[in-house]
Amino acid sequence: MSHPKLASIFNKDEKRVNWHDKALWFVRHKRDLSVHQVKGWETLRNLGHGIKAHTLSNLDNYLIQFEDNALKNGVQVHWAANGDEHNKIVHRILKENNAKKVVKSKSMLTEECHLNPFLEADDIEVIDTDLGERIVQLAKEPPSHIVLPAIHKNKHEVDELFQEHLGTEPCNGDPQYLTHEARKHLREKFIEADAAITGVNFAIAETGGVVVCTNEGNADMGAHLAPVHIACMGVEKIIPKQDHLGVFLRLLARSATGQPITTYSSHFKKPRKGTKMHIVIVDNGRSEQLSRPDFRASLHCIRCGACMNTCPIYRRSGGHSYDATIPGPIGSILSPGKDLKKHSTLPFASTLCGSCSDVCPVKIDIHTQLYKWRQIITKETKQPFVKKKSMAIMGNVFSKPSQFERVGKIARWSLRHLPKSIINSKPNAWGKARDLPKGPKQSFDQWYNQRQDKNE
Amino acid sequence: MKVGLFIPCYINQLYPQVGIATLELLEKLNVEVTYPSGQTCCGQPMANSGYENESIGACNNFVSNFKDFDYIVTPSGSCAYHVKKHYNIINQTHDVKNVRNNIYELCDFIVNILKIKDVGASFPYKVGVHKSCHGLRGLRLGSCSEVVGERYSSLEDLLKEVKGTELMSLKRTDECCGFGGTFAVTEEAISVKMGKDKIQDHLNNGVEVITATDTSCLMHLEGLIARNKKPLKVLHIAEILNSQYFTKVPN
Amino acid sequence: MGSRAKILEKIKANKPDALALPNLDLNAFDEGLNLEKEFIKKIEVVGGNVYPITSNTEALLKIKALFPNTKVNYSTLENTSEFNTVTLNDIKKPQELEDLDILVLESKLAVAENGAVWIEDSKIPLRVLPFITKHLVLVIDEKSIVPYMHQAYQKIEDFHFGVFISGPSKTADIEQSLVIGAHGALSLTVLLKK
Repeated sequence: MSHPKLASIFNKDEKRVNWHDKALWFVRHKRDLSVHQVKGWETLRNLGHGIKAHTLSNLDNYLIQFEDNALKNGVQVHWAANGDEHNKIVHRILKENNAKKVVKSKSMLTEECHLNPFLEADDIEVIDTDLGERIVQLAKEPPSHIVLPAIHKNKHEVDELFQEHLGTEPCNGDPQYLTHEARKHLREKFIEADAAITGVNFAIAETGGVVVCTNEGNADMGAHLAPVHIACMGVEKIIPKQDHLGVFLRLLARSATGQPITTYSSHFKKPRKGTKMHIVIVDNGRSEQLSRPDFRASLHCIRCGACMNTCPIYRRSGGHSYDATIPGPIGSILSPGKDLKKHSTLPFASTLCGSCSDVCPVKIDIHTQLYKWRQIITKETKQPFVKKKSMAIMGNVFSKPSQFERVGKIARWSLRHLPKSIINSKPNAWGKARDLPKGPKQSFDQWYNQRQDKNE
Repeated sequence: MKVGLFIPCYINQLYPQVGIATLELLEKLNVEVTYPSGQTCCGQPMANSGYENESIGACNNFVSNFKDFDYIVTPSGSCAYHVKKHYNIINQTHDVKNVRNNIYELCDFIVNILKIKDVGASFPYKVGVHKSCHGLRGLRLGSCSEVVGERYSSLEDLLKEVKGTELMSLKRTDECCGFGGTFAVTEEAISVKMGKDKIQDHLNNGVEVITATDTSCLMHLEGLIARNKKPLKVLHIAEILNSQYFTKVPN
Repeated sequence: MGSRAKILEKIKANKPDALALPNLDLNAFDEGLNLEKEFIKKIEVVGGNVYPITSNTEALLKIKALFPNTKVNYSTLENTSEFNTVTLNDIKKPQELEDLDILVLESKLAVAENGAVWIEDSKIPLRVLPFITKHLVLVIDEKSIVPYMHQAYQKIEDFHFGVFISGPSKTADIEQSLVIGAHGALSLTVLLKK
């Protein structure tokens, strides 16, 4: 379904929209309070942008350097051209290690590759261990936000879900109780796990190490208990040097939630004694996006979610209205690169207000890219006849002043004389909830000419 | 100083009073203004809808009307921004570069070129400023809440000097109103919801009149205000800056 | 051709012309922080507690006062072996540490701007310790505090596994209500050595 359709369904429950909007605005507000205290914040953003741009311009070499160093560290490195290959690699590693029970910490990449159903089809149990991800996993839904996966669920829904799946007592949605019960439930899973899968926030070419950031400690509980750790990363996660972490770790959590840093920023370099560590490097369309000069900066993204929290459309339409792994503004510039037709309404799900670009910690020109995708979509995908035709007519009218005057006259007359029932009738989506202006008798042109005549 | 006045298409046809206020205000400030008669539209409606190619005729028409001016002034942040940012689709001739370089939104022109803050207006109302996004984040007519740095606003600089005007602060100082051109129609549900929320923020903060640099935003908000019979008025900032009301006008 | 070669070849063909790596000029960030004050403030912001101490003996007394009834204790501080109720050499699998009540670790590096304390596995015999413990106590010398992450990375040398810990584990995944104590430690105490 298109974004407008899903968004209008979401908007049938206005109270829920208000609640969703306020919850995310609260996060955006916390971000503001936090970043406005940081001296040199804009310098940090410029550095984040510059380091990422530089890295992309030398990405092949940095990947090779990263692999070399990771191998030296005793880590096994795998390469996957697409999601399917990624899933097969992970599956193979699990099989080789006889792993039947897997705990996973947050990784948008594995969502993108649809890893869970792939493994589950072979009777491997995959448990998402981030609380929000566990909630949506129990609800059999995709995450609706990349940092706050269950932000669309209220506490009573979580309460019911936990009663059904975890056998908890009814608690009137007490977050403290629910979180504690989830801890107990997931603690068991951590203890039993045969393998742990994590995402990667940053991969450092210079050291071959990877950094994983969480607040809950779930990535660490998984990786330090299970005998096998598989870290999955997109090719764009590379940064050249460890020093650069100073820049990105200062930007990431503040942009995401307003925290000065996540509770845990874990630096994995060598496997712990007697265990194995694997890194799967995934392309899945990223090298393609790299080939598009107008859109390659979308690969700078460090997945903080700030553009979602700030986006007035995202807040009022919910993450699921985007029908894409990564929702919100950043998703709307990434997804068309993967499937233009499927995601053709996403770049239009924006007023081009530009808040996403200004909030982005690595200064991705998101709203400019949305504008540019629009130009491509109208050319390369089928557009409604009425839209296409009306744009051509408008283009024509505006290129010739005489026509503009004639059309303007008719429009003003219509707005003045036609009954409201016709003006606001069904084909006019404007009039469903809004009045149109009254058509003035005189245009500015006419007034001006009259004045000129008088003065002469 | 040769100043050309650009009146956006929808203001020309639907809100002539905004064009009149702009012209009168500039003349009051002793600016000699020319209004080229062949002007139509900057091309934005087509371009933002993904039909940049259909806007080329409008762009060329714009350039031929305004190529000879030192400054082009318009009561629209959005149109000025469009000319500056998106006129890269036509050949970058000397004329095109001139036009892109010389276009100014009205408040920007008054504050930063004329260096005037007090335009001698009187308007005894509680005013809420809607910071239209293209003016704010496109032309940087003010600081926005996302970016860290010095706080400033050309609009507020001007309104602060208007006699009798009380500037009301909002909870969300610079959230979009939801107009967004064809977005208002294609994403009708969200557009309307954004507009309603924006209006509520103004109402909650005691605003009597919402003002902005862009009549497009105001048309959207006015449509919602009228339909829902809310106790609010909208006025383009040029209308306030051109006002000489010393007492409130009864409704 | 395998995927590795294919991916690298595609990236090589598609990448933009070389762009320079920007220089890190740390002067842009310096605001003359009072390191100790800022560190304490940030620890509290992230949900931890800070207490001043002068010696390891005092540290243990403080810990006993704060956590009087713990059963399973482990400390890596010098001269605190009588505090320990487990011997790590006896641990065959990290899972056996599930009941650890309290862990005391010493760190040589902490960051004022965010209350983060650096722990690396040369200091922790088992990596899972600071995560699996119910209560985590970190002992820091006030001289070990650096202003920003940039200075912290200048001090970090080689390690196998290392982690910045800032506060106790937490989540806000249920309606944005902050709950302390997700999967990692339920509480974090920092003892700041003068």
